[in-house]
Amino acid sequence: MLEITNLHARVEEKEILKGLNLSIRPGEVHAIMGPNGAGKSTLSNVIAGREGYEVTDGTIAFEGRDLLALDPEIRACEGIFLGFQYPVEIPGVSNMTLLKAAINARRKHAGETEIPPNDFLAWVRDRAKLVKIDPKMLSRGVNEGFSGGEKKRNEILQMLVLQPRLMILDETDSGLDIDALKIVSDGINALRGPERATVLVTHYQRLLDYVQPDFVHVLARGRIVRSGGPELAKELEEKGYGWLEAA
Amino acid sequence: MSDLATYSAQFERFANALTAAERAPRSVQFSRFLASGFPDKHVEDWRYSDLSALNEHNYEPDVAAADHLPEALLADADALVYVNGRLLGEPKHGQWHSDTSELPPPATGVDALNAAFASGGLRLRMDRGTVLDKPLQVLFVSRAEAQATMSHQRHLIELGDDAQAKVLLDFAGDGGERLATHFFDVRLGRNAKLTLYRVQNEAAGGTLVTRIDTRLSRDAKFEAVTIDLGGGFTRHDLDVSLAESGAETTIAGLYAQAKGSHIDNHVRAVHAAPHCTSRMNYRGLVDEKTKAVFNGKVVVQPGAQKTDSEQRIANLLLSRKAEVNAKPDLEIYADDVKCAHGATVGQLDEIALAYLRSRGIDKDTARAMLLRAFALQILDRIEWPALRARIEAALHLPAELSLDTDA
Ligand SMILES: Nc1ncnc2c1ncn2[C@@H]1O[C@H](COP(=O)(O)OP(=O)(O)OP(=O)(O)O)[C@@H](O)[C@H]1O
Ligand SMILES: [Mg+2]
Repeated sequence: MLEITNLHARVEEKEILKGLNLSIRPGEVHAIMGPNGAGKSTLSNVIAGREGYEVTDGTIAFEGRDLLALDPEIRACEGIFLGFQYPVEIPGVSNMTLLKAAINARRKHAGETEIPPNDFLAWVRDRAKLVKIDPKMLSRGVNEGFSGGEKKRNEILQMLVLQPRLMILDETDSGLDIDALKIVSDGINALRGPERATVLVTHYQRLLDYVQPDFVHVLARGRIVRSGGPELAKELEEKGYGWLEAA
Repeated sequence: MSDLATYSAQFERFANALTAAERAPRSVQFSRFLASGFPDKHVEDWRYSDLSALNEHNYEPDVAAADHLPEALLADADALVYVNGRLLGEPKHGQWHSDTSELPPPATGVDALNAAFASGGLRLRMDRGTVLDKPLQVLFVSRAEAQATMSHQRHLIELGDDAQAKVLLDFAGDGGERLATHFFDVRLGRNAKLTLYRVQNEAAGGTLVTRIDTRLSRDAKFEAVTIDLGGGFTRHDLDVSLAESGAETTIAGLYAQAKGSHIDNHVRAVHAAPHCTSRMNYRGLVDEKTKAVFNGKVVVQPGAQKTDSEQRIANLLLSRKAEVNAKPDLEIYADDVKCAHGATVGQLDEIALAYLRSRGIDKDTARAMLLRAFALQILDRIEWPALRARIEAALHLPAELSLDTDA
């Protein structure tokens, strides 16, 4: 589904990713861990196509297509979703407006007609219930005045509404209380299926107790320096990253 | 300086058709115009809107009969339509138009020119305690003709004590080479309430100068929303005098600059009496290689204690070449007052833009959504759904959607 080969990327003249390889097949859940500043968010943003990142070498193929040639909105329409580490507030653009525009953009891209208003409302309302977001909050500006945890749940709501095929969640578990972590995990698990793949960027084993990964990778110094099964996360929890950095 | 010869020739011809009694006061105004000429950049208040380029123009006073009815009329309003300064048809309410023009002393050369050539205009006089049952749309259409033309109109809106009205001054034009000037004399009686919309949505090409002078008596309320969408060379003066205690005004405005347009708004609230409130909130969308000018001024005169005033200006520059001159200005001659003001200039939030795009929304739509978000504070002041919808459509902004939780 996603094939990253020898990826080199820089931000403001600084090389962050230095020859990264990663292969993800449909149905899989991959966890990416690694020290602060290792390049995890950079990798997520490069996959999502955010401007400001320069890919100097390597390729990313999504379902066989050259992903790097596509604008970020096209990547989203093709089924890639990035849950941001720091979701932004957009006063004046309501959550509902964003969701509707996003759904219709995707439908237009797929050659479909716009979603009927009643279907849209029902669709959003049901999903808002899953992540325990009061529908009233959705008529506010995007993330406007939302608490840290609410912002993260809102990312999951957007994901549930948009039904992506590749979900990249950048520290969506950070800053959540126990109940919210459960809600977010349930949201991720609800979309798990043979056609979809998930990338969880996280610092904590906790999330991985709820969402069982198939693979765990360690990203350090701009590359994947170690890959393993769920047991690798436990090992990291015990030993930290020092032993890998030294290796 | 130019001798304004073309204007003199036009005035001579124009004045010849008048009776001696009509001619005399106009000749006085015309000589004032000749003495001061068009305001140019040496006049502080006109620094960025130099009209001296008009010196060499030859505008015919417009005498063509107005004919076709434009389509811009709002369904839920009564209407009065002027095409190139001429009243179109018979107004539903005869009292709304006046052929005679009262002439308060002009402030600048362009005001004097307006007074000298003035043709009639809106004359809305409301008796004590009366309420206009529908909003009144006054549409001013500027239309290109074979030669350059000019029209000058003077208008009166006078609300008696406790009277209420909602009026739209609606400027539309095809960008023909024209000079149009308008003077509005607005007087509000005690506890009267006027909601005034001034909307300008002309094509680039013409020159439009408007001045609205408003005087508020005790406890009167004046709510104004001004919208400029592109247009040619436009200069608007809005002066509000809070002449008696308890008067309140809220002035909000949006100017959206477009290629080839020049928008200059000078808005002034004068607190001449104690216990008055003024709120000024302007937002600008400044694009292309143009310059937008906004000058907001609050004057608190001696004795105007307990004045409560606030002035906010925010500008969004949409390209690197855009320029804005936005100046909040405060003159205070009383000591027990509450006056706040602030002005900001910013750019489109790139991070918000990236966020919207990451959800599949194309760049143009995402941009329009953010522009709308910026303009929302002002658009929300338009409590006239049909008008608001028309303005949003003209701004190419996607409609907002609210979740009906009960549905
Ligand atoms: N816009 C930027 N300008 C300059 N440097 C940047 C920028 N964005 C990221 N970096 C740098 O790139 C490196 C990688 O950052 P990134 O955010 O990808 O790390 P991360 O692995 O996600 O870290 P964390 O675990 O703290 O979220 C860091 O050294 C960071 O300072
Ligand atoms: Mg990060």
